[in-house]
Amino acid sequence: MPRPSRQRTSNKRSRILPALLILLIVLVLAAWAIMWRPAIDPQPAVPRFDAATIERGQRVAAVGTCAACHTVDPARPFAGGRKLDTPFGTVYSTNITPDVRTGIGAWSEAAFTRALREGVSRDGHLLYPAFPYDHYTHLAQDDIRAMYAYFMTRPALDAPAHQNDMTFPFGFRPLVAFWNILYLKREPWQPDPTRNAEWNRGAYLSEALAHCTACHTPRTKLGGTDVKRHLDGGEAEGWYVPALNAKSPSPLPWTREHLAAYLRTGIAPDHAAAGGPMQSTVENLRLADPRDVDAIATYIHSYLRQAPARAAPPPRPDGLPAPREGDADLARMRLGHEVYVGACARCHDVGRAETSGAALQLQKAVALYDPDPRSLIHIVRDGIAPPDGEPARWMPAFGAILSDEQTAALAAYLRRYGAGQPQWEHIDDDVRKAGKP
Amino acid sequence: MTTYTLRVNGREHAVDTDPDTPLLYVLRNELGLNGAKFGCGLGQCGACTVTLGGESAMSCLVPVSVVGARAVGTVEGLGTAQAPGVLQQAFIAEQAAQCGYCIAGMMMRAHSLLAKNPAPTDAEIRKHMMTNLCRCGTHMRILRAVRRAADAMKGTKA
Repeated sequence: MPRPSRQRTSNKRSRILPALLILLIVLVLAAWAIMWRPAIDPQPAVPRFDAATIERGQRVAAVGTCAACHTVDPARPFAGGRKLDTPFGTVYSTNITPDVRTGIGAWSEAAFTRALREGVSRDGHLLYPAFPYDHYTHLAQDDIRAMYAYFMTRPALDAPAHQNDMTFPFGFRPLVAFWNILYLKREPWQPDPTRNAEWNRGAYLSEALAHCTACHTPRTKLGGTDVKRHLDGGEAEGWYVPALNAKSPSPLPWTREHLAAYLRTGIAPDHAAAGGPMQSTVENLRLADPRDVDAIATYIHSYLRQAPARAAPPPRPDGLPAPREGDADLARMRLGHEVYVGACARCHDVGRAETSGAALQLQKAVALYDPDPRSLIHIVRDGIAPPDGEPARWMPAFGAILSDEQTAALAAYLRRYGAGQPQWEHIDDDVRKAGKP
Repeated sequence: MTTYTLRVNGREHAVDTDPDTPLLYVLRNELGLNGAKFGCGLGQCGACTVTLGGESAMSCLVPVSVVGARAVGTVEGLGTAQAPGVLQQAFIAEQAAQCGYCIAGMMMRAHSLLAKNPAPTDAEIRKHMMTNLCRCGTHMRILRAVRRAADAMKGTKA
């Protein structure tokens, strides 16, 4: 009785097995076709460029904030080596000087263009999307050409790529091909005909070149820009990156002029002083065409202005108040207040008139109104320091002065008595995670 | 008024003062340690730099209440006029002081660097010393003095 049935099973198996094998081969071939990209031949020599193109390229690269990641040591511009922690592992920026062996000296314009538009290196390996080619893909070819001319005429520096340290399985670069299917939309930039030229210029610069949304829009679990939540706020290098739309945390409405000044100088008197990742953005934008920075402000402000009107924080000529006796968290608030009076108030509040008056009044500082305290903690810990030899705003770092407990108490106090907002939930955790500078 | 116990240059001191009194005022006015100077009072110049738990800190910005058990170090702890320490000898050898007002802060700032990194590069020295200003403009001599001290310390250890 069992024999014929076994016979049938074995017959079935003999037909299924080859079919499965064929399917597997087809899948492997398909995956290989998706993942494999050819090398582009090295160019025999770096071409020559005219001065006007090179200069234009410098301004384009400034808006693209290339140096924010590709320059670590100002004395060695674009030599790469900047460490970037991502949820998928640690990547290092690479050398984009025209050094033939360790940089992009062997890259033709076609290879450079492919890297920007498709995220593929000259030798055919896929680049990690920490490099924002999902934005650069929309660039106009003459902007790409100008940047190519600029980078190809920088001093060639010998700087081999650092070894990335990716979490399994992301060390296998071809997987990025599947990310690209989801998140790389290779379309030329389309202006919005219902908007004026300035807005459209700003849109192109913000989205395709300056890649503002790479940080100011949240990312999906797979690390792609969550386009449905455009400018809803995100994170970068452990900082909260504020929303730039109706969800903007700013207690005072931003004007277009404040925003343009902030992008050019890093200072908006009633809102913020650029620190952390935004500071390097501003350092780049300083070299950009001022009209381009204005256009970015126009575009971003068209979203930022959607923020609802809020009650302006009251003026505080005597600084922020001492904690109320009945405060449920009185001991912590007292510690925070002590730190505030001893370490902060002399520049930020009561002593402002005697100083340059340039420090932000804390009840207006956007960082106090953020949905989490990470940016405030970083600013307190790291301070704000200009790059070597550059003039810029300065705030001392308190990382060596305040303990974790004192930093957390200060954040909690400023949130309650500076901003009057519901208390942040995970202050102690956020302080611990922020580490010391 | 509250009583605080401070550990300064290895000795314990009890001090009665208000919690928001800057550590600088306590050092100078209560303990008679006049090495650290009042420059701007705003953490902008570094003349008041001391070490706090081994890290350099501008003592004008440190309310005494936050110090706790952390050890405070001032220039008086580096040596004496008769027996100057390695850093002090290096500053003398390079004649790094003009008016001298910033120098105690400069030495303490350098001290915290050399304690952690005995063989700093010139770029590391420059970056670390960036926060401290000298109105006379002897920065180049100060950088040389820190270099000399680092080299001297290397010599003693080898």
